Amino acid sequence: MNRSSSRWVLATYVVYLLLPLYWLLSMAVSSNADIAGDFSVLPRSPTLANFAEIFSNPVWYQAFGNSLTYVAINSIISLTVAIPAAYAFSRYRFLGDKQLFFWLLTNRMAPPAVFLLPFFQLYSAIGLFDTPFAVALAHCLFTVPLSVWILEGFFSGVPRELDEMAKIDGHSFLYFFFRVFLPINRGAIGVTLFFCFMFSWVELLLARTLSGSTAKPIAVVMTRTVSASGMDWGVLAAAGVLTVLPGALVVWFVRKHLAKGFALGRVS
Amino acid sequence: MSSFKPHNNRAWLGVLPVVLIVAFSAVIPLMTVVNYSVQDILDLNTRFFVGFEWYRETLNDPRFLAAFLRQVVFSLTVLMIEIPLGIAVAKSIPKTGRLTPFILILLALPLLIPWNVVATIWQIFARPDIGLLGVGVNALGISYNYTAEPLHAWLTLVAMDVWHWTSLVVLLTFAGLTSIPLPFYQAAELDGANRWQLFTLVELPRLRGVLIIAVLLRLMDSFMIYTEPFVLTGGGPGNATTFLSQHLATMAVGQFDLGPAAAFSVIYFLFILLFCWLFYTTVVKRDES
Amino acid sequence: MARITLENIGFHYPGAVQDTLSGLNLEIANGEAHALLGASGAGKTTLLNLLSGLLSPTAGKLLFDGQDVSQLAGHARNVAQVFQFPVLYESLSVAENLAFPLKSRGVAASQIAERVDYICDELAISPLREHKPGALSLFEKQLVAVGKALVRADLSLVLLDEPLTAVEPRIKWRLRQTLRKVQEDLGVTMIYVTHDQTEALTFADRVSVLTAGGILQTGTPAEIYETPGHEFVGHFVGSPGMNFVPNSALNVSMGERLGFRPEWAVIDESGPVQGVVTRTRVQRTHDSIPYGLVTLATLHGELSVRGATDIEVGTNTALRVHRYVAFADQQKVGEGELV
Repeated sequence: MNRSSSRWVLATYVVYLLLPLYWLLSMAVSSNADIAGDFSVLPRSPTLANFAEIFSNPVWYQAFGNSLTYVAINSIISLTVAIPAAYAFSRYRFLGDKQLFFWLLTNRMAPPAVFLLPFFQLYSAIGLFDTPFAVALAHCLFTVPLSVWILEGFFSGVPRELDEMAKIDGHSFLYFFFRVFLPINRGAIGVTLFFCFMFSWVELLLARTLSGSTAKPIAVVMTRTVSASGMDWGVLAAAGVLTVLPGALVVWFVRKHLAKGFALGRVS
Repeated sequence: MSSFKPHNNRAWLGVLPVVLIVAFSAVIPLMTVVNYSVQDILDLNTRFFVGFEWYRETLNDPRFLAAFLRQVVFSLTVLMIEIPLGIAVAKSIPKTGRLTPFILILLALPLLIPWNVVATIWQIFARPDIGLLGVGVNALGISYNYTAEPLHAWLTLVAMDVWHWTSLVVLLTFAGLTSIPLPFYQAAELDGANRWQLFTLVELPRLRGVLIIAVLLRLMDSFMIYTEPFVLTGGGPGNATTFLSQHLATMAVGQFDLGPAAAFSVIYFLFILLFCWLFYTTVVKRDES
Repeated sequence: MARITLENIGFHYPGAVQDTLSGLNLEIANGEAHALLGASGAGKTTLLNLLSGLLSPTAGKLLFDGQDVSQLAGHARNVAQVFQFPVLYESLSVAENLAFPLKSRGVAASQIAERVDYICDELAISPLREHKPGALSLFEKQLVAVGKALVRADLSLVLLDEPLTAVEPRIKWRLRQTLRKVQEDLGVTMIYVTHDQTEALTFADRVSVLTAGGILQTGTPAEIYETPGHEFVGHFVGSPGMNFVPNSALNVSMGERLGFRPEWAVIDESGPVQGVVTRTRVQRTHDSIPYGLVTLATLHGELSVRGATDIEVGTNTALRVHRYVAFADQQKVGEGELV
C-alpha cells in the first residue's frame, strides 16, 4: 500500500466505525415524534429529554449500579486469584503446569450457552441467585483464564534477576512481591483490568439468566424496555449512549498499556 | 517459556486459587451437563439413564445440522473478512503521530460496548424505516429490509460482526507491527525490497504470534455468538440467522429439553475445542518443524 | 565504490531547538575503512541515518564521487548497512538472503549465483547456505548479515552500526578480523560507527572523533592517539586516557595545559610532579618484573604512569614526563619533549 491509498483505507474504516455511533447519538437526542416523522440525517430539534427520563427513573440507574457492582466484584476476584497463578506459571515449572495452563484456556472456549442451566441450578442451590455475586462468579469462567494468560505474558518479561536481587538484599518474599514486583507490573494489571471489565461488562446471556428482579444489569433493562414500551427508540438510544461511556472512560485510562497488552501472549 | 525455570512443586500453592475458582465455575457445571446428557429427565425426581441416546438424536437432528452448517459458514465468512481487513487497517495507522492514540481509542470502543447494545445500535442503524443505513441503501434504489429478507439479515449480521470485532484484529496487529525493530525496515529499504516483499518477508513472519491469537479468539467467539443475532434478528427471518447458541438456548430454556440440550452442549463444546486444536496443530506445529 | 564527501552537513529534527549536527566536513577516500568514534549522544546515529538515506540533511551536501545524493532515498544511493543485531529475512535461507538485494535489483541469475558463491567463500559460510537464520548462532547470523551487505558489486558505501554489539565478547575479535579482511579483499568503502575506541582504532584506516555537534579530529589511529587535536580526544581515546596538568607543573611555557600518555612518563623520585601511589595494576611481567599502571594522587588530580609496578601503595614519590602535547582553550597548540 502506498501512503495515499493507506490513508483511504483508514479513513473509510473510521467512517464505517463512526456512522452507527453517530446514528445512535443522533437518535438519543431526538424525540420519538422526530424519529417517526420524515427522515433526516441531522437531528431536527435536539433534546436531552431521553436522558432526563433515564436519570429520573430508578430502574435505569439501579440497573447501572448493578452492572458496575458485578463487574467490580469480578475484576477483584479475577485479579486476586490470577496474580499468584501467573507468577507461578512465569517463574516455575511444576507437576502438570502445561496441562493446567491448557485446561484453563479451554474454559475460554466454552460457550456460555452451555453453562446456562447448570449455573442457574448451582447458584440457586447456594442462595446466590439474583445477587451480583452470581454473575461475578459466573463471569470468572472466562475472565480468570484470560487474566492468567495476559499476566503470565507480562510477568515472563520481567527479568528473574529482580527476584534474586531482592533475596540477596534480604527482603522477605512478601515484601518483594507487594513492594517491588507488583508496582513494576502496574501496567500489566491495568491491561488485565481492562480485559476483565471488557468481557464482564459486555456479556448479557449469563448476566440475564443469573439475575432476577433485584440484581438486573443495565443490559437486561434495555432489552426489557424495548418490549414493554414498544418503539421508544429515543430512550433506547440514550441508554445505549450511556452504556458506551464507561467503556470509553476505561479505554482512555489504559490507552498507553493497551497496545502492549494486546501484543503479549503465551501462544506467540 | 524459553528461558530456564526452576522446578518447584510449591508453585502449586500460587495456582491453587485459580484451580478452585475455575473448578467451581466450570467443572461442576460441566459435570452437571454431562450427567444430564445421558439421562431422560421428566421432572427433578424422575429420571432414566439413556446412555448415548441424546447424542445420537442430536447428531441426526436436521435442525442441529442446519444450525451447525450456518454457524460454520458464518464463522468462516467473518474470519475471512476480519483478518485481512484488520491487517490492512493496522498497516494504515501511522506508527507515530498525534492522531494515533485517538485512532486506537476509537478502534477499541466497539469492543467495550455491551453486546446487546451493539445489536441495538445496528438495529437502529439498519432499520429500513428509521435507520441511516436502511434508508440510505433503499434511497440508492436497492431494496433492503433485514427483518424480512433472510439474505439481508445474514449480510447485516456479518457487517455488524465486522464492525464489532475487526478492531480486535487491528489492535493486535498494530501492536505486533510497532514491535518490529526499525532496522528491519531500513534493511529492506536498502535492499530495494518492494512493499509486497516488505509485507511478506519482514512483517508477516513477525506477526505470526499475534495473528494466531487473533484467529483463535475470533474463531472461538464467533462460534459462540448469541446475543447479537438474538437482539437484532431473533434468529430469523425463519431460521436464517439461528446459530448454535441460539438453537441451544431455545432447547434448554424455551422447551426445557434438558437431556438433549445437555448432549447438544457437550457436542458444541467439543466442536470448538476440535476446531481450535485443528487450527493450532496445523498452523503452529507445521511452523515449528 | 565511491569517495564520500560531507560538505557542511547540518541537521535538526523538526521542532527541535538546537541542531543535532552542524557544519560537518569530512572526506573519505575510495576503499577506505573509516571509523566514526563518539560517546552516546554525539549524533552518531543521526549521521548514520543521513548517510543511509533514512534522513536528509537540512543543510549542506552529501556527495558520492562528486554526485550530490543528499535528497536520494536509501535504495537509490547504493548503500548497504550492517546493524547492531543481525537483520535477516527469517523465512528465507542463507543463500536466498544473500541473493535478495541482487534479485530485487534484477541482476541476472547466473551473476547472482556467482556473487553469492564468492561471498560465501570469502566469509567461510558455505556450509550454512541452505540453513534458515533461526538455526544459526548469533555470530553466524551477523556474518550472514555482513555478507548480505557486501553482496552487491555496485555498492558505493557499506555502513556498520556497532556491528559487534550483539556478539559474545570472546568472538568479537574474530568478527572484527573477518570484517577487516573482507574490507581489504573487496576494497569497499566502509564507515564503522562505534563508541568503542579499541574497535575504532584497530579496525579503521582513519578515525573521526565525534562529539555533540561536530567532528573534533580526523586522522589515522596513530595520529589520534599520539597527537590528539583536542583535550577531549586525548581524554576519550586510550585506556586510561591522557593525563592533564597545568603547563607550570612541568615548567613549559607553551599552551595552558599539557597532556601526556601514561607511557610518556616514568616514576622518578626526583621528578617535578610529586604524589602518593594510590593503586597499581599489573598487566604483564617482563624479566619477572611486573609491568602495568601506577596511579598517583597529585596536586593536579590522579595521574597514571605505565611502567614497573614493583612499588608499594602509599609510597611518596614523583613522576617525570618526557613527552607532551600542549593545549590552549582545549585545542592542541603544540607538542614537545623534555629531557
